[in-house]
Amino acid sequence: MFRATLYKEWIKLRVYWSFMLASSIGFAAFLSLRLRHANEFYDAVSIWGAWLFKGYLFFGRYHYFPIAAGVILSALQFLPETLNKRVRLVLHLPLGEERVISHHLLSGLLLLSLVFAPAVLMFVLTGWLYFPVEFQQNIALTLTPWILAGYAGYLLTATLLLEMAWRYRVTYLLLSGAVLRLFFLGDFYDTYQRILPALLVWSAALFLLPLLSSYRFRKGLES
Amino acid sequence: MKISARIFLIVTGILLLSHYLPAGYWLLAEKQQRAPYVYYSCISNRFLFYRFGVGEPLRVDSDGKVYDRDEFEQLLPLDNYSQLLRDGKMPKTVNGIPIAVEKLRRERINLRVKPVMFDGPGVDLYPLLEAESGRVRLELPPDFMRLGKSVEFIDAKSNTLLAEKSAKFLEAFKAQGFVFPATIVGGNPSTMKPFDEGYFIADNQGSVFHLRQVQGAPVLKRVSDVVKPEEKARWTSLKPRFIQVQEQDNHEVRAVIIDEGGQANIVVGPDYRLVTVPLKDYNPTTMVLNMRGDLLNRLATVSSEHHLEAIVMNRNYDLVDRHSEPLRERRETTAGKIAGALFPFTLEFEDKNSGYIGFYAQPGNAMMWIVNGSLLLILTGWILFRKQRLPGRWLDLLAVATTGLFGFVLVWLIPRSE
Repeated sequence: MFRATLYKEWIKLRVYWSFMLASSIGFAAFLSLRLRHANEFYDAVSIWGAWLFKGYLFFGRYHYFPIAAGVILSALQFLPETLNKRVRLVLHLPLGEERVISHHLLSGLLLLSLVFAPAVLMFVLTGWLYFPVEFQQNIALTLTPWILAGYAGYLLTATLLLEMAWRYRVTYLLLSGAVLRLFFLGDFYDTYQRILPALLVWSAALFLLPLLSSYRFRKGLES
Repeated sequence: MKISARIFLIVTGILLLSHYLPAGYWLLAEKQQRAPYVYYSCISNRFLFYRFGVGEPLRVDSDGKVYDRDEFEQLLPLDNYSQLLRDGKMPKTVNGIPIAVEKLRRERINLRVKPVMFDGPGVDLYPLLEAESGRVRLELPPDFMRLGKSVEFIDAKSNTLLAEKSAKFLEAFKAQGFVFPATIVGGNPSTMKPFDEGYFIADNQGSVFHLRQVQGAPVLKRVSDVVKPEEKARWTSLKPRFIQVQEQDNHEVRAVIIDEGGQANIVVGPDYRLVTVPLKDYNPTTMVLNMRGDLLNRLATVSSEHHLEAIVMNRNYDLVDRHSEPLRERRETTAGKIAGALFPFTLEFEDKNSGYIGFYAQPGNAMMWIVNGSLLLILTGWILFRKQRLPGRWLDLLAVATTGLFGFVLVWLIPRSE
């Protein structure tokens, strides 16, 4: 059944998703080429110094891309479903509303991962060319909160769109703004090292919220 | 799922409110609370302060006597020599010592150790400068030294290991009995300094070594082997926690070493004399250590939100005078007491004492239980007024009982599942 949902979502999103994937790869390629150019133009010691002592990771401009992609993909996926309450149809499938919404969410998260993966791979490979192994750890620990922000943005947007009551939509909007800001508090490498396990667990638990919204949607709870 | 989702929402909401509500409150309520600047007058031989408060800052001494700017500057000729020279008020001698401007400049030292310096991210790669290149200006080397389980050099341009240089340095480390891995490395990876002191490194047993690169060759000394006999025992028993290397014009202070006991030590002169700064209340994880030196004295100050201590030492680092005073913490002000009652706890994600993002919580005061209880009564009354069953709202009641205002706000904000 998951494959059927994935196929349905793929049909709906493939044009936008392809554009998103191309943007991600294009952006990552641009940043990688910029690093190559910097290495040609400046001496390598200065480049390493900028990394080690100023925390400059050369791929920093990518940091808002995942959250933008997550929010946009979620809006493209769930807005058409909720505008005319079309989602009601799938909520009444014999599969059960929790499972069917989970399948939708997993499809979206999978598509989102496929947008991020080539960019992350490109950063790792480019980093490998110009920097020692320590750089890979810095990149991993610095990219992870940005990627998690992408998933969190996706799930929070889905929660907001599936919620019927405007009062709670505003609550979710405030909550989203307040919480997503915390993923971008510092861009020096490794600063999220201590909080990363908590962010991972919190982002995973966020999966519950769209399920609550869809339950309220099916029940028609508007207060 | 419904209950789990609501619990998750409430916990998330409480954490967010405990961060944003106090932040908003303090944006409105905060008044200026700054520690005074401390000086030591070589004319009157007493501490002077530049105190902040309501209105203009005050220039006062330890008896509270207020000075105007000119009087204050004349009591501190070694700090204000530029202005005094311009005004023609610079004394020719101070305490019998003739004043030469060039010497005044050269003898000034300034160092600062902040808690964030030894609790922040870093990578074990260091540029080891050529200490005696024969050039006037220092230059960055083309390679970086990796100090951890071994010592290795990596060429930055080719991103490859320099096997020959690595082997040469490893041999020098082994010859000195260095026990890998290196635990503490202190150095100043910059060319904007008058000379290069290299790195002070603690090995796995806590022994301190001094490494420089001279004409491409390693010069590594176990410090306890080269000090005077009476210093040896102190160096052997020293357990460093943080090392900061100093490269100042007068070559006097070579490094600051904070030891495991939290004491600040400075390494002085060519003999690596180890001087423990005689501070009584220094906590390196929460306090900033400042040390300023001039032709006559060395003034060390440490300050946190609730305490200030200052000591003056002479050029031989003997204690001359001491001053300490409590500072009024933010939580002790009226606004702080109100905040402590309103907010059962405050959560910060950034801390000035650490370079890491984390959960930094501060509890409220005992008054919060009265506020929590009152809010609980209001909610209970509201539930009964709406003719709802109390057990059905156990989660809301629990949230208000334990987290007071945060829970109370959330009860109205978070969607119900029934």
